[in-house]
Amino acid sequence: MPALGAVFLPPRGSEEDEQPQPDPGSSDGQENRPSPKELEELELLNRALEKALKVRKSVLKTPLKAQGATEEKSAGEGPPPKNVEEQQVPVAVEDVPESTEVRAVSKKPAAVKKPSPYQLRAPYRTDPDVKKLQRRAPARCVSQGPRAAGKSSSKGVACKQGRSHRKAISASDRGACAAAEPQKTPGLSRSALNQQQSFSIGDSAGGKNSVAAGRQLLDAGKKSCSLGESSRKENPAAEGVLGGSTSPRTVTLQEKGCQLKLPLPYRKAYSRNSRAWERCRLCQTSADAAAARNRFIERIQTTFYSPMPAFSPAEIEEELKVFQDVPSLLSQYVEAELADYPTLQREYESLLTLEGLETTVSQCLHKLQLLQTAVESQRRLRPDCTGDVGSCSPACVPLRGQMCDRASVLAVPLLCYSSFQELRDLFALKLQVSMLHQEIALQKVMMAELLPVLESRRYPETSAAQLYRATYTQLCEGGKRFPVLVRDELAD
Amino acid sequence: MRRQPQEQQQSGRALPGAVGALCRALPPHARPAPDTLRRARFDRPQASLDFWRLLYGLLKQIHGGKWTESDAIDNQIRFVKSTLWYHGYGRPELYQLPSDGSAGSRELLLAFSWLLHRLSLLEQLLARNRVKTGDETSVCTCEDDLPNSKKGPTEIAPEYGPEDRVDVRYLQWLNGRLKFQWRSLHAQHQEQCKLLHKIHLFTSGSHMDQNLGHFSVTETDLIRQPENYKQLLQLLESETMQLEAFLEWKQLEPVYWQWMETVLDIMAEEGNPCESQDAHVERSGLPEVTSCCPWADNLTEHIDRLSRDLMTLRDQLQKLVMHRKAAWCEKVKTREEQLQKEGFPATARKIQESVELKLQDLTYLCAPRKNRAHGSCRLVLRSEHPVSKSGWARCGGLQDGYTIQEITEKRSLQVVSPAHGCFLLRTRVSSSHPC
Repeated sequence: MPALGAVFLPPRGSEEDEQPQPDPGSSDGQENRPSPKELEELELLNRALEKALKVRKSVLKTPLKAQGATEEKSAGEGPPPKNVEEQQVPVAVEDVPESTEVRAVSKKPAAVKKPSPYQLRAPYRTDPDVKKLQRRAPARCVSQGPRAAGKSSSKGVACKQGRSHRKAISASDRGACAAAEPQKTPGLSRSALNQQQSFSIGDSAGGKNSVAAGRQLLDAGKKSCSLGESSRKENPAAEGVLGGSTSPRTVTLQEKGCQLKLPLPYRKAYSRNSRAWERCRLCQTSADAAAARNRFIERIQTTFYSPMPAFSPAEIEEELKVFQDVPSLLSQYVEAELADYPTLQREYESLLTLEGLETTVSQCLHKLQLLQTAVESQRRLRPDCTGDVGSCSPACVPLRGQMCDRASVLAVPLLCYSSFQELRDLFALKLQVSMLHQEIALQKVMMAELLPVLESRRYPETSAAQLYRATYTQLCEGGKRFPVLVRDELAD
Repeated sequence: MRRQPQEQQQSGRALPGAVGALCRALPPHARPAPDTLRRARFDRPQASLDFWRLLYGLLKQIHGGKWTESDAIDNQIRFVKSTLWYHGYGRPELYQLPSDGSAGSRELLLAFSWLLHRLSLLEQLLARNRVKTGDETSVCTCEDDLPNSKKGPTEIAPEYGPEDRVDVRYLQWLNGRLKFQWRSLHAQHQEQCKLLHKIHLFTSGSHMDQNLGHFSVTETDLIRQPENYKQLLQLLESETMQLEAFLEWKQLEPVYWQWMETVLDIMAEEGNPCESQDAHVERSGLPEVTSCCPWADNLTEHIDRLSRDLMTLRDQLQKLVMHRKAAWCEKVKTREEQLQKEGFPATARKIQESVELKLQDLTYLCAPRKNRAHGSCRLVLRSEHPVSKSGWARCGGLQDGYTIQEITEKRSLQVVSPAHGCFLLRTRVSSSHPC
């Protein structure tokens, strides 16, 4: 059995380990023991930081204000960070003395305990009492300098105005920095975030830090560190050369967000546009127009095929879409009436309901018959479509329920949410629905393909048990749980 | 036609305006020249090709398929004919038009006008091509149609002969990878949420549109780097012009329809009726099924399946009702007087009413609903729950929307909610993790 698991079979329960932990309330997401590899990376990083310090010293003269120190609040999240925001890998790095300044300004008491300010220490918990806010630290955009990879930095919206430049040091205990790697971001853009910011997935506990000036730093939290592949790459930490940062005085979105103003041309265009939309939405078809139009339509329809089918193909599909759920819906109603009826009234009610349901079922059946007739008539009327049916038939790319009435089409509804949690739930649920759709489709295909194999018994007898187990797992347990196979030798 | 000379004169003047407005209200990629329509009225062959292309462009946009302008003309024609059939257009002359696009512009003009009404073509196109400046999302749970969904499984799977064997462990591995990808996606979505929320929160109070209140990602980025968004501005401007053309068109609509009626007049004069009669006979005389039609087969299969389910249910119900009715009659027979005294008839009537209501709900659920919560919505952060919809300022074509809270309440209350054919919301969903 163990041998089977060798290459392909994921070890039991491994999938649970790989789970990202999205909830803030749950564990801080730290590993208690850094692996040797992480330590190695840490070393590299430390060296890079030192180098960066040296470079900075010679480049910059003016001290950096530690403006950013105050801002790490991630809105709507947990308690304010009490740590030094170690995420900050530095763009403008000051001399050592200034580092203390920074730390003094910051509200993070824990930082003071660090002996060497710019050393990242392996056991990240220097102070077990201090709350770590790994994941929740907001995204930081370090500078607006040209990005090494030219990756969509313009989309780094979360830190538009650029954040403060902090020192390498302050990244004291938590080496939890995430650096934007050009190579990494493509992988991320692949996801739905294409149009949004690019951020990198860093290993929060794994010291995946790299010092790179002009790179966008985002904290992606612990959840991202479990995304094995991309986060385990070695960072070219040697790229410690810090490009010139632009204005040292940068403001955060948080501070200035509410005072921002859209540029005038856009504002004008936008308000003209929205006024036009509003007028269109409110615009009604005049009675004359409606009358004239109806006259035309009536007349032209008299020239159509003389026994026109009762439903157009589009209508048939629309009706059938609704019918998908009807049998199960009705079954549920029937089920509800199968319970025992304690009182006379209840019994009467139940009887009436069942009779009503019977009528409804007959009506549905009748409707289905009508639809079937319509399908047949439409089949006959269908224009010849020899050749590639797929490309020319609109039925293959049906309308997506957009056939609502005219006026409402012209309004884009707002979807309002009132808390971060709601938004997360929305996204999570939608994703779950998509996933379930896919699972259903896969299940159908697998049933069609795997079950015949079992039944045909064309597999070698020796692997029968494993095959059964695999099929069972795949079809009945969603590929997650593997039953234990026990060989039971009966002594004859 | 019963038109007075004065009316005719007026419409004569207004017609170019109407046709012009109509053309300008169509999306830029599929915008005809007003001349094309005029030539089509006179059935000029030169206009046919343009008209086919126009219809192709418009219908492709509605059906969301891949836009291939380089498609050969006969493919385009086939597509247009197919789509018109799909929507129930029944003029046989159109389907008989040659597939090299050399004739038939008048027929196409008729079809175009019919589509204008039937599909609300202008409104649909405006809505679909709307310039998005906000963070869009949707709440419907419709299945995204995969382009391959209609193909059989064998077409997608790698070719394995009967001798080849695929290790089931490979399947398991693939499955694991798939699960992993979903989780990654989930994590990234969550990250996106976080950042989105931050932007919305931090920019609250800045937007000039009170209804929105805060900036979207695009708008925030626009502030940072206006030079990147010149195209957006241009799109907004051109959309505004399109909308204004639409408003013009709405004013002049009657003229256009009257004009179209004259087209029908011309055709009637030219003696079309006989031809169409033949066409009717011809068509209805066709044998049952000449060529295979996968669409019809697919639907027939569907309908059969549904019918089977319903028939099983009907049988079950029949038995049940018979049984219950008999039992009920037995009970009532012996107690008739007693029940009368207790005022049972009144109670019975009340029960009848409540059952009727219950069943009405059921019929409502069984009927196709024009649910507005289908398209994409703009995501907006509102910190306090609005008291009433009327209190919201309306502007910019953004109507009162939904709150996520309302939607979740609505959905959970409906025990069985056939939300666009998806039954999955009935399962308990936990929000923290997809798996």
